[in-house]
Amino acid sequence: MNSSLESSSPAPAVQDMLEAPPLTLGQLTWRRFRRHKMAIFGAVTLFLLFIYSFGGAFIFSEQYANFTETGARLQAPSSTHPFGTDTIGRDILARTIYGGQISLFIGLTAVIIELLMGVMIGAISGYYGGRIDALLMRFTEAVLNIPQIFLLLVMAKFFAGKLPNIQVLGRTFSGSVVVIIFIIGLTSWPYLARIVRAEFLSLKENDFVMAARATGTSSTEIIFRHILPNSIAPIVVSGTLGVANAILSEAYISFLGMGVQPPTATWGNMLEGAYNYIESSPWLWFFPGMLILLTTLSINFLGDGLRDALDPHSRAA
Amino acid sequence: MTRYIIRRILQAIPLLFIISVILFVLMQNMGDPLATMGGRTITRSAERERLTRQLGLDKPIYMQYLYWLIGNDWDKFDRDGDGIEESPGIRKGILRGDFGTSLVNRGIPVTTVIGDRLPNTLILMLTAELVIILFSLGIGVYSALRQYSFMDNLITGISFIGYSMPIFFIALVSMYIFSVNFKRWGLPYLPTVGMFDPQVGKTASEVLRHLILPVFSISFISLAAYSRYIRGTMLEVLNQDYIRTAKSKGIPRRDIIFVHALKNASLPIVTIIGLDLPLLLAGAVVTERIFAWPGMGRLFLDHLTRSDTPVVMGILLLISVAVVVFQILTDITYAWLDPRITYK
Amino acid sequence: MKKTHWMFTILILLSLVLASCAQATQAPEATEPPVVETEPPAEATEPPTEATEPPAEATEPPAAERKVATFIWTQEFDTLNPLYTNMWFAAITHQLWLSYAWDFDDQGNPNPVLITEMPSQDNGGISEDGTTITLTLRDDIFWSDGTPVTADDFIFTWQMTIDPNNTVAQVSPYDLLTSVEAPDPKTVVMNFAEPFAAWAGTMWHGILPAHILRPVYEAEGTIDNAEWNRNPTVGVGPYNFAEWESGSYARFVANENFWLGKPAIDEVFFRFVPDDASQVAALKAGEGDLGTFIAYSDIPGLQDAGVNIVTVFSGYNEGWYMNLSPEKGHPALQDVRVRQALAYGFDRFTLNKDLLLGLTVPAATYWDNTPYAFPDAEPYPYDPAMANQLLDEAGWVDSNGDGTRDKDGVELVLRYGTTTREIRQDTQAVVQQQYQEIGVGVELLSYDSDIFFGGYGDGGPSATGELDISEWSDTTDYPDPNMAYWLCSEIPSDESPAGVNWQYICDEELDALFQLQNTQVDFAERQATFHQISKIVFDKVYWLGVWQDPDTFAIGPRLQNVKISGSTPFYNIYEWDLVP
Repeated sequence: MNSSLESSSPAPAVQDMLEAPPLTLGQLTWRRFRRHKMAIFGAVTLFLLFIYSFGGAFIFSEQYANFTETGARLQAPSSTHPFGTDTIGRDILARTIYGGQISLFIGLTAVIIELLMGVMIGAISGYYGGRIDALLMRFTEAVLNIPQIFLLLVMAKFFAGKLPNIQVLGRTFSGSVVVIIFIIGLTSWPYLARIVRAEFLSLKENDFVMAARATGTSSTEIIFRHILPNSIAPIVVSGTLGVANAILSEAYISFLGMGVQPPTATWGNMLEGAYNYIESSPWLWFFPGMLILLTTLSINFLGDGLRDALDPHSRAA
Repeated sequence: MTRYIIRRILQAIPLLFIISVILFVLMQNMGDPLATMGGRTITRSAERERLTRQLGLDKPIYMQYLYWLIGNDWDKFDRDGDGIEESPGIRKGILRGDFGTSLVNRGIPVTTVIGDRLPNTLILMLTAELVIILFSLGIGVYSALRQYSFMDNLITGISFIGYSMPIFFIALVSMYIFSVNFKRWGLPYLPTVGMFDPQVGKTASEVLRHLILPVFSISFISLAAYSRYIRGTMLEVLNQDYIRTAKSKGIPRRDIIFVHALKNASLPIVTIIGLDLPLLLAGAVVTERIFAWPGMGRLFLDHLTRSDTPVVMGILLLISVAVVVFQILTDITYAWLDPRITYK
Repeated sequence: MKKTHWMFTILILLSLVLASCAQATQAPEATEPPVVETEPPAEATEPPTEATEPPAEATEPPAAERKVATFIWTQEFDTLNPLYTNMWFAAITHQLWLSYAWDFDDQGNPNPVLITEMPSQDNGGISEDGTTITLTLRDDIFWSDGTPVTADDFIFTWQMTIDPNNTVAQVSPYDLLTSVEAPDPKTVVMNFAEPFAAWAGTMWHGILPAHILRPVYEAEGTIDNAEWNRNPTVGVGPYNFAEWESGSYARFVANENFWLGKPAIDEVFFRFVPDDASQVAALKAGEGDLGTFIAYSDIPGLQDAGVNIVTVFSGYNEGWYMNLSPEKGHPALQDVRVRQALAYGFDRFTLNKDLLLGLTVPAATYWDNTPYAFPDAEPYPYDPAMANQLLDEAGWVDSNGDGTRDKDGVELVLRYGTTTREIRQDTQAVVQQQYQEIGVGVELLSYDSDIFFGGYGDGGPSATGELDISEWSDTTDYPDPNMAYWLCSEIPSDESPAGVNWQYICDEELDALFQLQNTQVDFAERQATFHQISKIVFDKVYWLGVWQDPDTFAIGPRLQNVKISGSTPFYNIYEWDLVP
């Protein structure tokens, strides 16, 4: 204990807690994250899944994935078809690769929409307060009060059949992909908006905000450069877990028949197609199911780890 | 406190209004209730024209909304479908308690249609909620006390898998294992579908037997999530100073856990569970379909696919009201449990 | 410490894998030979007189035990009043408790139920000019409350159907009657304005009890909200309605006084199970004796579990409806050679063999399996060379090397839409691939059925001409061959948005023939006309049959004497028996 007092002498002796340069938020987070083995496992698995879906496209062409051969339908896993074939003879391994692309894509973009809307509304609401806050919160509550699955179903029916097929990079996608992304994003932002608003409400009373205002910083700058970075923790965690939620939501709506329409494959609608073959052809649901499970599991581990790492009060410090 | 409640109720009214407008607009583009009317062939043209006029489906959307809200007995409508509006209206509108009649079950009031199914959903939901509360508290506390032990790790593992799985999976797999295959293997088995066996009747034991699988499917995911959450909050609470003080004062272990720690740990749970109750109504949509449970979730799905606006609006409004009511109840319970909180 | 977390998670995942593998291997072992099940009941009834044989004794006491059958309905009826519903599940339930005036047996022959015999020109039931049909009611028919069934009930039913104050589902064909008279309580005289050829297949599917509903009508001005619609305690038929618990089940009890014979089965339950997979699970577990519309993929599994599958043709054929609108449809489809090429280039035979397990065959005409299809009709064979040739002749060649044919700068890409049923989406994927080989591009679309079948006024994709090929399963007014899809007058437009001619076909020759057949009461004449009609539709490929769509019924091992008719499935339900 006394050594710390003595090290204030000019000679640069031992680096200790008082003199060591402070770690940035990123470095601190990384340190705590490293100790969370499950989160590492989750991150690695997710990385592998991404490689599987997007890298696998280099091994199997989309033509191969969509190639139907009714004579070879419902074959159990074998050397030619490691994951078996589906009801019209398509190779399931290739389909899970392309399906994974869509599922992961839906998960990520839906969350981006959710983040954009949630942060925007929560920030404005929390910062400005007053009537704007009251109005926005009423609207948020209105959306929040309708259970998500009902809203999803009603919106899916509303947009059904309205969007044409989309052509991107020579590949055709059913318009329902865009619909699903929007409706998942549009039904999950209220939760985040409330969290962000709560953060802003408490943070805006802090001294540094008062200082920024005193020096004449514009409101936008205060919001984005001062308050927002300090409230990044719940946003990151929420966003991460939101991806898992989006992937599961996609599986739910597909199950109820209103999700992405074939022939565009997603893990969710592959599960729906396997519904009548649970006993007779388990490979139809097993592989997409396991992939969904692994993805959401790893995301949950990751989110857990991030929450512990970013939370200054957590015990793992 | 009373003033707070009254204020919340008053705030809820414009909320419900906004919700009803949003929902009604969404309902309009949903599909044609007259397309097949549940039949297997396309409705004939002459019939479709007549029915469109008789059921008031040819009116512009704001008129339909107005009639839904305040009825049409102040106006005339085209009862015989010949294009001339000469009969006085008979609907009184939502604001006077008339939810209208179903388009699918023609002539049956919406309140009857929903009322037939509501108790069944309540039975399912309340049982599931009870199971979730009891088991998640139990498992959560156990896990927290035995942190990092073998059981804790096992439970954590299962929990993670549990809330990563889609519910219809759990439902269908459990149905196949416990009903179909158990019967085949000669073990005591559970029934596959329905709320009770019609030949035996709606007795308590029948309903209980049929409740097992659906409740298991619904609660599994929530259990997984909540037991983790309770475990987390319990751990947080157990590290607080007042617990250490209690221990050093020599208070018996059981008292520490149940009187001091649990009460404080369960505060956030109250909020979540209170808000979750009306959401469980929704989560039942998938389970009710698979287990053919005659509840509101299934009703919603059936009538949504046939574009039966009055019934769907009735259900959605009912749920929104339930959510608002439960939010108020939760706030009150929270204030009662935690003396630090006061409302003005 | 946290390491053990993921170790256990892996363990659990592994055990899940093992569990599912175990399930897959269990299935084949659990098969029971279905054939053996149906044999013993016949033999067990042989030696009941021997007192020393305990198993034989067991067949005696069941007389005191009630025989209860359970039918599984995947759609709950919306109402029990026949005037207000189009649902198949409601209509065939009526055969139990609200008998049709006549029905059809499994060979398609008419069977009088409420009447003494089928009217015809020979017995004077149908007048010379065909405009008057007389029905003679039986003497021994009574409503379940003891009131005799009289001609007044028929007249009342007709009046209620055409009354504009009732929002009935379908007014026709009762609006073709100028009057209905009752010279005596057991005779009904129907007067038509013009001879109506389709009377036998379309009329009197359930009579209303006048003595119950007339007071309701007089009090309220309509029978829309009658209690009887949900609680029809008064009916006439082999069974009587007992109760209907919304969402769960409906119960019917045998009518001891049924004039064609007391039903052997004492009670019938209808359980509502909306989910197909749950229906199959319930049937396999023996919790239901009858199931409907079984998907082909489920059939082998059910047969392994001892359930018999009966397929009955009910007039439905799955087919493609080509869009011939000059403004909205693809220009290629205007040329009959292109349409024929589409027929030659689509291997429907392999599709039927693989996806439909060979349980049905491609349909040649809309009137397959009826006497109205032209003789020796055979579906277009699979001949991709012929398809290529026809397309070349029609001027559609691949000039820009992108794999799809084109002409005058327009690519031959067709929009092919259908509903979201799995078998249809599978068909779409197969078609897309096969058409690549003949240079035809296909864009696949699928819709929820409420949206797909939406009318012109609702922006339905098929009705508004957005799709080039629409696929769905449909029928005529089976067993009557009449249908309205190809009448020029039925083309939808802003002025007449309810038109059902969604293909925008106006073929004058065809139109004239349809008008003609509607008036031909003589069977031979009408048949000849329909032979011409079906030949035109076939040659010009207005409609391309994909598969014949029979109804699949799953009959559990306990039910005996079951015969299913295509148009009126439960015609002999009073003869059905239940063997435990």
